[in-house]
Amino acid sequence: MSRSVKKGPYIDQKLLKKVLKQKDAKGGEPIRTWARSCTIVPEFISHTFMIHNGKGFQRLFVTDDMVGHKLGEFAPTRVFKSHGGVKKKGAPRG
Amino acid sequence: MPRIAGTDIPADKRIVVALTYIYGIGRSLSQKILKDLNIDEGIRAKDLHEDQLSSVGVYIERNFSIEGHLRRQETQNISRLKSIGSYRGMRHRFGLPVRGQRTKTNARTRKGRKKTVAGKKSVKELG
Repeated sequence: MSRSVKKGPYIDQKLLKKVLKQKDAKGGEPIRTWARSCTIVPEFISHTFMIHNGKGFQRLFVTDDMVGHKLGEFAPTRVFKSHGGVKKKGAPRG
Repeated sequence: MPRIAGTDIPADKRIVVALTYIYGIGRSLSQKILKDLNIDEGIRAKDLHEDQLSSVGVYIERNFSIEGHLRRQETQNISRLKSIGSYRGMRHRFGLPVRGQRTKTNARTRKGRKKTVAGKKSVKELG
């Protein structure tokens, strides 16, 4: 079930504060965050984040297409080890 | 055979059913359209008035996207997910279920026919 519209999108307030601070300062280090469930809002565009995936951090540069998604969608928590056959092929792509 | 909204040619069925032959229109949407236009659901498609037909066509085109347009929208949405590198896009790319279903068993619609793995223990042997 999707989130009630009344509440508005979930935004991690501390993270938003950090982003706005960086915006004033014009650039800076990528922001490390564990707030995977935080919705990407327009303020985040063209900022770089390091999103925790349970083990390490995944770098993400936010573009305007990503607005409305959650940060966690861009840092997979599982690794897919492909089944190695006799012929070794690269991971399926495209 | 009457034509509605461009290329679609529904048969001589009741108009509620005939409309569902259009891609993007299901039973409930079809009912809603006819109700909004005050057309009886039970009339056969061939018995509809010329102006009734055109009013349905115009109404659909104005309010909903159907057929080719809808299909294009869908593929665009999917390719958007892929290009931004989101989790859902990845699932589309790998041909796995996108909405969190289990993949230990089932998920055959997305994964295609079963590929038998040599040397894998069957359930019988384990039990």
